[in-house]
Amino acid sequence: MHHLFPKRLAMSECVLRGDRLALGFGDRVLFRDLSFEVARGEILGIVGPNGCGKTTLLRTMLGLLEPLAGRVERQAGLRISYVPQRERIDRIIPVTAIEVVLMGAGATAPVLRRIGSTERDAAHRALELLGIDALGQKLFRTLSTGQQQRVLLARALATDPDLIVLDEPTVGMDVASEATIIEFLRDLNRRRRVTILIVTHLLPIVLNFASTIMLMGSRGILQGAVDDVLQEDRLTALYGVPVRLGVVAGQRTLVVERGMGLNV
Amino acid sequence: MFEPMFMRLALVASVATGLSLGVMGVYLVIRRVVFLGLVVANAATLGAAIAQAIGWTPELASLVAGVGAAVALGGVEASSRVSAESWMGWAYAGASSFTVLVLSWTAGGSADTLHLLFGNVLAVQGANLVALTIVAAVIGLLQLLFARRFLLVTFDPEAAKVVGVDTRLWSLTLNLAIGVAAATAVNAIGALSTFALLTLPAMAALLATTSVRATFVTAAALSTVLPSLALAISFYFDLPAGPASVALLALSVPFAAVCTPAVARAKTFVLMRAGRRQTTFNARCRGSASDLRRSECRQQQLRESFPRCERRPQA
Repeated sequence: MHHLFPKRLAMSECVLRGDRLALGFGDRVLFRDLSFEVARGEILGIVGPNGCGKTTLLRTMLGLLEPLAGRVERQAGLRISYVPQRERIDRIIPVTAIEVVLMGAGATAPVLRRIGSTERDAAHRALELLGIDALGQKLFRTLSTGQQQRVLLARALATDPDLIVLDEPTVGMDVASEATIIEFLRDLNRRRRVTILIVTHLLPIVLNFASTIMLMGSRGILQGAVDDVLQEDRLTALYGVPVRLGVVAGQRTLVVERGMGLNV
Repeated sequence: MFEPMFMRLALVASVATGLSLGVMGVYLVIRRVVFLGLVVANAATLGAAIAQAIGWTPELASLVAGVGAAVALGGVEASSRVSAESWMGWAYAGASSFTVLVLSWTAGGSADTLHLLFGNVLAVQGANLVALTIVAAVIGLLQLLFARRFLLVTFDPEAAKVVGVDTRLWSLTLNLAIGVAAATAVNAIGALSTFALLTLPAMAALLATTSVRATFVTAAALSTVLPSLALAISFYFDLPAGPASVALLALSVPFAAVCTPAVARAKTFVLMRAGRRQTTFNARCRGSASDLRRSECRQQQLRESFPRCERRPQA
């Protein structure tokens, strides 16, 4: 792990911290001596090529996977919501959108307490915030990709989280749906100071969205501000294709130079 | 038909096993582990066969074996080399072959094999019936109290774990309940009927319904009504009750698969017809000056649509 701007935040300012972690499965170690910090209120984008270990790191951060060494610390009382990849959600169960959102609200309630009007109101508010209140009674499996993603986001919001973790949230979406989701998350971060952690293999998503980037590669991890981490030579070396960064209409853009197809 | 005492006991046993297995079966099907039902039923059968061979209590042995299999295999996670389903296939093949071997080692092997495979609900005795009823009541209570948690850990276990739900505990509870329900049922209705009740009503219910509550209610209704109907059929036509019950349950699946889309199409057709009438009515009433006029117009429209319903003027 290498910080471009080495920092060691106080735990009051840091919601999640990994200390000298070794990640992997069984005998296979993907990363050694890895440390990270997620500051309160930041938008952290975790990016890297396919198979570099993004999901392993994410699962370790969330406590779904035990690190081989080291430990992950959470701020006391931290409320985390996880928005998984839609493919991981089972579509056999005939649940409606509102039932999915209520699962979020119900998960944090005591086991024997019945879902009451407070949880229902919170669920409806969450759906309304995402502009899909009208879809509440529709079956989750019948919704479009973008609508399903919004329902899962509404479920995450219904628990009133301090940290939202999103795994590939815009995969399979058209540009309009993608822009809506990203704008919503940005607004959420700005208004409620919700910390956002987003894992994606799509670099353009985080270029203009994240405040901090964690770039993962086979030789280690680099964390810092977007402009400091995402540099052409570094990305070119990491991805093995000539990457060019630029600015269009005030937005950072990324292109891969032409003529880099495989020789067959 | 239900005059003789053995028929009444069989009816109570069918309803009790149907309730517990029908409800638990929905979880098996939505978790895509229907093989677990087969393995648990066969492990319980193996337990009963071993107990029979060495003179122990078959009910207790099958309970231990069934619950053990449910807990052990319910927690198996797929590795990169072998899927969880393959482990279940292994357990099923092993349990079935050892059951036959154990039974052929003892006297009257083939008769015992048939009994354990299909059971004999007509021979259910008092103690067994009490056990079945208690299990059905406990499972009903678990479902009433914890259905929300069971669904949560089934729908998205990772997100549930992240917000602090003990997913391992809830999965274990679910597997224990499935194991107990299947193991107690095996002694009364046999392995085949147990497996059929765990999978077929849930399948039919999922095909026929579009809400979680309706799925559970339909599965429980099918798993209690169809075996009871099978009892009556077997009584009148002198057929074995177990296979009759499984056959009816098996028929319910294609019935649900074929009839549900047909009913949906019919409903859409009726709604479209109603919509067309409504559109015509709206077009006619668009020029109406007031709600009163609109109301009159609607009454006129209704009279035209349903002339037979027109009220005759009173004399």
